[in-house]
Amino acid sequence: MELLERYLKAVGEHLPARGREDMLRELRANLQAEIEGREEELGRDLDSTEIAKILEAHGMPVLVAARYGQQQFLIGPGLFPFYWYTLKKSFPLVVLAYAAVQGIAMILATGSADQLGQRIGSALGRFPAVALTFWAIMTLGFAVFEYVQGRYIPKLTLPRWSANDLPPLDEAPKHSFAHGVADVIVSILMIAWLLALPNRPYLILGPGLRLVHGMPFGLTPEWHVFYWQIVTLSIAMIPLKVAMLLPSLRRWRQHLDLAVHALGVMIPLVMVQVRTYFVAGASISANNLKSLNGINAGINFGFKIALAIALVNFCWEGWKLLSASHRHSADFAAAK
Amino acid sequence: MANGASHQTELFDALRLELRRGCLVLAVLAQLRREHYGYTLRKSLAEAGLEIEESTLYPLLRRLETQGLLTSEWREEEKRNKRFYRLSGEGMRILETLLAEWRGINDSVDRIVESGNLNKER
Repeated sequence: MELLERYLKAVGEHLPARGREDMLRELRANLQAEIEGREEELGRDLDSTEIAKILEAHGMPVLVAARYGQQQFLIGPGLFPFYWYTLKKSFPLVVLAYAAVQGIAMILATGSADQLGQRIGSALGRFPAVALTFWAIMTLGFAVFEYVQGRYIPKLTLPRWSANDLPPLDEAPKHSFAHGVADVIVSILMIAWLLALPNRPYLILGPGLRLVHGMPFGLTPEWHVFYWQIVTLSIAMIPLKVAMLLPSLRRWRQHLDLAVHALGVMIPLVMVQVRTYFVAGASISANNLKSLNGINAGINFGFKIALAIALVNFCWEGWKLLSASHRHSADFAAAK
Repeated sequence: MANGASHQTELFDALRLELRRGCLVLAVLAQLRREHYGYTLRKSLAEAGLEIEESTLYPLLRRLETQGLLTSEWREEEKRNKRFYRLSGEGMRILETLLAEWRGINDSVDRIVESGNLNKER
């Protein structure tokens, strides 16, 4: 029975101090009865291997002890939906507030464009810590509320609600025909604008064109190559967007949408590869040359962010499509 | 394929656990209309076809006692001290209500399954 005592000692180490002796006493009585019951069946004493088997079947000491403890959770199932809802709704506000504070700080700060790129990078780098702190504070707040409700304050009771207070349905569905047509028109206008740019640069710079003429730097010659790549990608999107409007292709809408997103990823991908957007003229000063490097780095960084956003968007759309098709097959199989 | 099979087994185990959880409480309460200590209760449940792990049953008995549904006392039997449990007055009332609920659910599920079978035959 030495093994039984060792087992009980191991269980006892994990039991709550209150009632521990009583629990162990009961556990000992039950396990002894089980061992004796087995011995009676076999008509002989059990050896240590057989006793070990009984104890192993009873369970690992830490898990056995855990089952005697109260069911514990940081945020219980009653409060969790409110916690999750609050997190989801307030997180975009945190992002917005952080972006506003950082934006104001950058406007007020003085320095070159190179430093601006560094500041943006460092602000982005600090954001995970801000988000984590926000999450920790919210979780702690809800955990404290979970702990005190029922103990020190009355349990949370749901407010009365009326079905009449429910928000109205959206008047237009998310993917309306009008929205699709407007998208195609805007895309065509964008292409026309892009095609007009080489001969009419005032379309991009407006009155600022005069200012640029006096600048000691100009556009890199590689622009012509990348310019045509972007025009081609933009034109390639048009038939896809038109196809999305056709009722006969409605079931392929999500696939077409994904293809449009894929082309949307290609544009910043092309722009990220440029690296040098402006090159120095013959009469550039050392100071201006430094600023030019900063401008190129800043623009490149901006396109990298755009690429990251486009990639995340593409992956999200792809995942939605995959999970929808998986759900569809599961429903189909269940219906069969 | 192996992944799909293991997912199905996991899902089945989780659903089975959910289904059994409430039934076990009902069975334990019903069995404790007669006095038992932990080991004999487990044996009697197993003999009736309801296997339950010791590590689940013994803490459950304590929880039901804390909730006032069971009473217990330490007593010597066959030269050993054992803790005997039986249903309390409150436990008896709850058991009766739960059994009525259980029978109602059982009948409803039977009817639903039966009507499903009839629809299939048609």
